[in-house]
Amino acid sequence: MEDNAELKRFFENMKEQDRELDIPPFPSYQTKKFNFWIPAGIAASLALLGLIMNEPQPIPEAPREVLIITLQEGENNEQEFVIEEKAYLDVWESPTASLLTDY
Amino acid sequence: MNRKQLDLLLKTYHREAYIWARQCCAFDDEMAKDVLQQVYLKILEGKAKLMEIDKAKTWLFSIIRYTSIDQLRKSGKFLSLEDSFEIEDIPDEIDQTDYQGLIKKLPKMQQEVLLMVFYHQMTIEQSAEVLQIGLGTARTHYDRGKKKLKEIITKTQIQEQHGR
Repeated sequence: MEDNAELKRFFENMKEQDRELDIPPFPSYQTKKFNFWIPAGIAASLALLGLIMNEPQPIPEAPREVLIITLQEGENNEQEFVIEEKAYLDVWESPTASLLTDY
Repeated sequence: MNRKQLDLLLKTYHREAYIWARQCCAFDDEMAKDVLQQVYLKILEGKAKLMEIDKAKTWLFSIIRYTSIDQLRKSGKFLSLEDSFEIEDIPDEIDQTDYQGLIKKLPKMQQEVLLMVFYHQMTIEQSAEVLQIGLGTARTHYDRGKKKLKEIITKTQIQEQHGR
């Protein structure tokens, strides 16, 4: 250790000299922080708007029954009304059904 | 490690970091300031990451050293490893209190090891980590550096005595 005494003294003196150095102040860095609240807010607003716009409309219920009143010619050539009560789906007729019967 | 902890760590070592940057930049104050700015940016932008908190000083010193080498290269002041191994002749006229001038007479690696050990109170192992060299190589630089610096100091003392 005696061996290093001279060197230790040398570096101590060097440190002493460096005390007079003008150390620059620690810089303050402003890193660009990405604010996640902005895109999150936009996304939430769009989602809310979408929900309002696409509010489900009540589907009109189909009538359970329909009355079909037809005028028919009776046995004695008299006109008579025939009233039929049918389920809605029973009376549905394809728009092309006439093609099958007419030809 | 979060931003606050990193800030605190850098503030704690700021003075020592500046002095080390200056020593790595051949005692050029302006270059040292630039280097330190670059080092802090590298750290705060996450380009350099601290893995072990107990090696913070070694890590910081290592970044400073490599950033200084880049800066010295850009300015054309960097000497290659072979060049820096050439021991300069001790000039006839040398001021005993010009510590920076005296230390600059040593090859770069010897300067750095001695500064880390004697000035910054680091171990030779830590110096080896900063320089990214083997422990044996660091010891060699340390021993040669000590020998050479003693020669320089003795020579200046003799010159001073003769001058008186």
